[in-house]
Amino acid sequence: MAACVWSVRSVRVLSEIIHGHVLPAAAAVRHQAGTSRSLHGARAPAVSARHLKQLGVTSLRSLSQVSLSEEPDALYQKLSVRVKGHDRSVLDSFEFFASLAARELGLSLERAFEPRKHTEKLTLLKSVHIFKKHRVQYETRTHHRTIEISRVTGSSARVYLEYIQRNLPEGVAMEVTKTSVEEIPEHIQKPLWDEGKLEPCGQ
Amino acid sequence: MATSLVRQTKLLSIVTSQLSSAACFRNIHCTAACLKNRAARIRVAKGDKPVTYEQAYHPHHIGHRKGWLSQHTSNLQGEDGAAERVVEDVFIRRFMYGTFHGCLADEIVIKRRGNLLVICAVMIQKLLPSKFYFLIGYTEELLSHFYKCPVKIEMQTVEEKVVYKYL
Repeated sequence: MAACVWSVRSVRVLSEIIHGHVLPAAAAVRHQAGTSRSLHGARAPAVSARHLKQLGVTSLRSLSQVSLSEEPDALYQKLSVRVKGHDRSVLDSFEFFASLAARELGLSLERAFEPRKHTEKLTLLKSVHIFKKHRVQYETRTHHRTIEISRVTGSSARVYLEYIQRNLPEGVAMEVTKTSVEEIPEHIQKPLWDEGKLEPCGQ
Repeated sequence: MATSLVRQTKLLSIVTSQLSSAACFRNIHCTAACLKNRAARIRVAKGDKPVTYEQAYHPHHIGHRKGWLSQHTSNLQGEDGAAERVVEDVFIRRFMYGTFHGCLADEIVIKRRGNLLVICAVMIQKLLPSKFYFLIGYTEELLSHFYKCPVKIEMQTVEEKVVYKYL
């Protein structure tokens, strides 16, 4: 019992540290008024290094999941997710799930449609010996479903795709196509005849 | 079904190439033969043979009245690795049949989600639960070492075999 009380207290302290790290002003205000908390009372959010080591935390920075970087985020004009499967109803439910996820995340769902199914047929002999005229036919059907999302940033696309892929049902394959606008390379930005590099032919 | 036939055609083509290179020119028919009338069917008999739902419906009912016993992506258009998955499936089915001898109520369902291999089985309550737990752990450990991927077994027990009808 004492151990779990200690762990609860340490978890509470950890949450205080995180909030203190991200929103220092709000944390200070909360601690002024936070005397109603039975475990902490008027305790300050500062925690000793020994306590942190007990919790297995090496640095405060590793606790927060949000990372900031200087380079700009990639922008995609279109994110096309194509799923293939043998069962049409499984693809129906996956399309519902993916479009719901896109709507909840605030991504603009352009369209969700069903490309034509592909059937692979195999004609084999029915009997082990002779009877060439009697054959048997098997077919493998692959159904497709495409979900197109337009004007999405790189990090949003990564989050959405990770969520979708973690919940992909078994027997379903996914292909992702990202379309982005690139700068024209330097050597073809201006036509050659403008710069006078072309020599007149003939003459 | 078609994947095992593909494997047979591959084997047959290897054999034909060897034979033709050894300067003996006998012909072998290269298509795999399969008796569609008799594959995976239990014939109607006197009426005293109990048969489960899986056994009662014939292969042409797959997708309509039956589900798939082995779910992976290698049979889709543009995907490969079908032959390897078939070999793995056959081994897993024989392994489970031997490890849980007499306890299997119905066919095993094998699902592959990414790297994870999930084996779903329905068992008859023939052994003690502790023995079941041991066998589950043993199977998971051995199969994950064989196939170098995480293996999970989802098991459900039933008092006796669920009979659909008598043929």
